[in-house]
Amino acid sequence: MRTVLIASRGEIAVRIIRTCKKLGLKTVAVYSENDQTCMHTRLADEAVCIGPRQAEKSYLNIESIIAAARAYRADLIHPGVGFLSESAAFRLACEEEGIKFVGPDADAMRMLGDKQSAREIMIENGFPVVPGSTGAVDSLKTALNVAKTVGFPLMIKAAKGGGGKGIRIVRNAAELEQEFPMVCREAELAFGDKSVYMEAYLADARHIEVQVLADEHGNTRHFGTRECSLQRKNQKLLEEAPAVNVDEAVLQDIQNTAVKIAQCVNYKNAGTVEFLLAQDNKFYFMEMNTRIQVEHPVTESIYGMDLIKAQIQVAMGHHLTIPQEEIAARGHSIECRINAENVKENFRPSPGIIKAMNLPGGNGVRIDTGYAAGDEISPFYDSMIMKLICTGDDRQEAIALSMAALDELYIDGVSHNTEFAKAMLADNDFAAGRVHTKWIEKVFLNRWEKP
Amino acid sequence: MKLFTEKIDTGISVKRKENTDVQKLHCSKCGKDIIADIVHANDSICPYCGALFRQPAYKRIEMIVDSGSFIEIEREAESKDPLSFPGYKTKIANEKTKSKLQEGVVIGKATIKGVRTALAVMDSYFMMGSMGTVVGEKIVIITEFATLNRLPLIIFCASGGARMQEGILSLLQMSRTTIALAQHGEQQLLHVNVLTHPTTGGVTASFAMQGDITIAEPGALIGFAGPRVIQQTVKDELPEGFQTAEYLYEHGLIDRIVDRRGLRDTLADVLALHVRPETQNVKTLIKEKVDDVFKRS
Repeated sequence: MRTVLIASRGEIAVRIIRTCKKLGLKTVAVYSENDQTCMHTRLADEAVCIGPRQAEKSYLNIESIIAAARAYRADLIHPGVGFLSESAAFRLACEEEGIKFVGPDADAMRMLGDKQSAREIMIENGFPVVPGSTGAVDSLKTALNVAKTVGFPLMIKAAKGGGGKGIRIVRNAAELEQEFPMVCREAELAFGDKSVYMEAYLADARHIEVQVLADEHGNTRHFGTRECSLQRKNQKLLEEAPAVNVDEAVLQDIQNTAVKIAQCVNYKNAGTVEFLLAQDNKFYFMEMNTRIQVEHPVTESIYGMDLIKAQIQVAMGHHLTIPQEEIAARGHSIECRINAENVKENFRPSPGIIKAMNLPGGNGVRIDTGYAAGDEISPFYDSMIMKLICTGDDRQEAIALSMAALDELYIDGVSHNTEFAKAMLADNDFAAGRVHTKWIEKVFLNRWEKP
Repeated sequence: MKLFTEKIDTGISVKRKENTDVQKLHCSKCGKDIIADIVHANDSICPYCGALFRQPAYKRIEMIVDSGSFIEIEREAESKDPLSFPGYKTKIANEKTKSKLQEGVVIGKATIKGVRTALAVMDSYFMMGSMGTVVGEKIVIITEFATLNRLPLIIFCASGGARMQEGILSLLQMSRTTIALAQHGEQQLLHVNVLTHPTTGGVTASFAMQGDITIAEPGALIGFAGPRVIQQTVKDELPEGFQTAEYLYEHGLIDRIVDRRGLRDTLADVLALHVRPETQNVKTLIKEKVDDVFKRS
């Protein structure tokens, strides 16, 4: 085990390369034509161009990536976040080539990748899911029947969906009749599969997730919760660990359930089980992400560990023998995603060249970024510039530290959401932990004064 | 907190070099050596500078025809050594292992956006796609197959010319293919040629120039004798861009120059315009068109 190929770009690729360097592993970066001068390309020991800027031809091109891995004799492939990180086909291609894939096996990916099948597995095994349909909803008649038993409001979701697409909320039978065929068509166009499922729409629910880690020998541990309720259009903007304002008993219950879910699907490596926590403290399984997540640093910060290292160790067959009781968190951590977007113009992406940049630092402040001053934020890929992770002894400290760090942050050349992040941190509802997944859209945006 | 007790095996004491048996291709435009598999996964286009590499036949087929629709015929046909040409047998054996092909052309039938067609794709990675008895015979077979089944025929040409190791027998293929194609044409059937880099010698002098429609890839070298031979014969300066697809297009020998990634769409349009599709195919065709409109909007 010596060489790791990182099949991703941007901050997560940089993040993985850094850990590999720390561990003494050789790194191979892959890049598209457009990314020849990117930070991940510069930092890795070797870099291979795998195709043109279109992701389908480069970062999603299994054949190219495997060829690069073969040529540079990679022992491991880390898929990062996005792109091929949840592709069972890629995982199998690695296996065929005799390369270790840092992540769960193809079966788990397939099972959990299809939201409807994941939901059914949870129902079969007695885990709580949001009340809704069982089996595919293939006609309006079935949909109306589901509505009768579950009641309104309802959500119609594409089975293969993701990224906030293919989701509709309907409040009555008339709306359902109107929207149902539209979601089906949207699902078919966007995901190539028109199957949909239905769930009750839980008002003001929160998004709580649990970080789990499992080795290849049946040991599964959790690393506490993260609160990711601050979302806009199902895109997370700010995350913290641990979850705030949740009853300790409920928290324990959620964590234990997450471990049981991971064990039930024979999950290996790092994964995240996402739950919806309703106002009545009942929680429901939403989905399980079969990869490392963007917001993993908040967990690392309070547990004092390196999840990428742990992922690599699991892939190398190491034993996760540490007892759950010894895995202890300390303090509170908040992550702000700084995106190149124009908040005033409905969060429109704002690609361009970063002319100048000053990064905050100091005790408790961590920055994960794939850019330096002079680099270009390409319109072809996602618009995140960096993640600012601030950790304090308690939540109050973490918030204050975040605000201070955001004050120090200076980026010139592209529009960004720093001021917006500061405003969220300063909000009373946020301070009191009175937020939910629709809070930004329904509450905060209305009272936020655009600068 | 220590999660694992085992040490990470980094193996840094061993200096590891890049895998040497990986085949690399040299890009003449940007000068880089690139892993062959990456080039071919990128439609045989240089991922650094966009220069076109010669494309292996099966990759070409994958790119042009409807996924899974290609049925190959005469796959196993292989060249004998009719003239006992010195070293020819060994050369063939080497070329077979290197290119993983049996001969310099792949033939079969397929559909392109629902329209059935016969297809011959030459592969210049096998002895520069030179035409010997087997290549000639396979072109004749697929042409006769197309005539018999009333199918259009698309030939992707890529060849260094007639295969010298088979002497006059290679040259004979020029007239054989020409006759087969004439019979195909007599039945009012469509023959489209796609000339790729390089299309030269006996292939240019026979079937490559007999298409009803002749398309070429940008920058392809197309000619009978090579530029150097001509220069030495006429003892005069050759015009700029001599024998390139663009030059021939300007002089009316080629109907259109199409980018490699646009070939599938162009061929589909040509087929749809010229071929009377069967009922079921019309349906698929209409569906694809509708989907296209959706995607664009």
